Amino acid sequence: MSGLKALPLATIAALALGSAATLFSLQGGPGFGAVRLGAWTSWPQVGDSDIDPYARASLAVDGALPLGSREGVAFIATTDDEGAPLDARCDYRISGAAPAARFWTLGAYDVDGHLRPNLAHRHGLTSAALLRDSDGDFVVEAARGARPGNWLPLGEKSRFILILRAYQAKTSAIGDAYQGMSVPSIARGNCS
Amino acid sequence: MTETLSDSPRVAGTRRLSWSRVGREKQIDRAVRAIPWVLGALFGAVALHLLTILALPTLWPGAPYRALAAGLPLGKTAILPRPDPDSLGAAFPDPFAATALCRFDLSQGSARIRAQVDGAHPFSISVRLTDGTIIYSGNDRDAPSGRFNIRIVTQKQADAEDVSQTSGGDAAPAPGQSGAAEGELRLTSPNLRGFVVFRALASREEDYDAAGSALATAQCAMEKPSP
Repeated sequence: MSGLKALPLATIAALALGSAATLFSLQGGPGFGAVRLGAWTSWPQVGDSDIDPYARASLAVDGALPLGSREGVAFIATTDDEGAPLDARCDYRISGAAPAARFWTLGAYDVDGHLRPNLAHRHGLTSAALLRDSDGDFVVEAARGARPGNWLPLGEKSRFILILRAYQAKTSAIGDAYQGMSVPSIARGNCS
Repeated sequence: MTETLSDSPRVAGTRRLSWSRVGREKQIDRAVRAIPWVLGALFGAVALHLLTILALPTLWPGAPYRALAAGLPLGKTAILPRPDPDSLGAAFPDPFAATALCRFDLSQGSARIRAQVDGAHPFSISVRLTDGTIIYSGNDRDAPSGRFNIRIVTQKQADAEDVSQTSGGDAAPAPGQSGAAEGELRLTSPNLRGFVVFRALASREEDYDAAGSALATAQCAMEKPSP
């Protein structure tokens, strides 16, 4: 292979491979060190100065302002408990024990990071405003149509994600687990 | 009938063998000559990948510092619009978090961050570099007497202050201890520029405006070093 012929080929290959590797590494969440709890995933290192370069790049491209470690912990769900992608054509029952935190919020988002438009103009729920049973447990119904009780409207677009933010969480990540942290389950109901 | 040497099947077979060997040698030779180019392409790909990963946080136009803070005048605290489906603030905003930002530039002196906690809304402060790295975060329960008083300095400014304190008769701070004044948290920033995020949380949607009011006490000021 002569130098003149090989140089453009090698350059194109380097550009294509390098760009593909960067695009691939920015998929699927911010970097390494994901902690999974049921359908929920968290990246505890994003809130500290020891954040890895891949997480930094991923957050920059997303345009997100992650919580600092003393602010709280954010958990993201893109699937239900069975691993099926969240789809607004279905109803979801989010229930169980609340995260151990001073305060928490739950919101539904488009995959590009926008809050989901809906006729009720309700974009999330908080631990302070939630209806609970006598044991303190709760059930949130996430659906397009209105529901009695704790209703989280899902809007029209089908794909969505949920973010649960536990502010001043009473836990810290130890390796790939959180000590004493519980998160609600996400069970799919009927689909239209 | 005489058989010529070239027509001999034995010789023709030898020649075919020889041609195929030459062809294989050419292929091997071509492959060997391509190895440096393949390695060069791989090296270039790895270098490009690493460079883009390292450069994206500061160069990406949608990165929080560039999109939200870079245009703010120094010393001004801006309250972000209430998050809704059409808002152009940060991605994945918490609809219950009223958020304010200010930016700092330590090239001329330190930055002073102050905030008064109202007690009714969970409140937090985080100090971030231009690439998004969070170098400090704290919540209202970390703030003595409900007041945040943070001074951000460079390592050089911190060293100069410590030397000045020592020469002024004060004992030098022990390693790892800051030479901060009483009630002040001195924070050493590895970079000159960054931004501060203030968050106040609303317990429900109708409480959002009150949470936003809690951000009114958030202040960022640039301080020149005393002569």
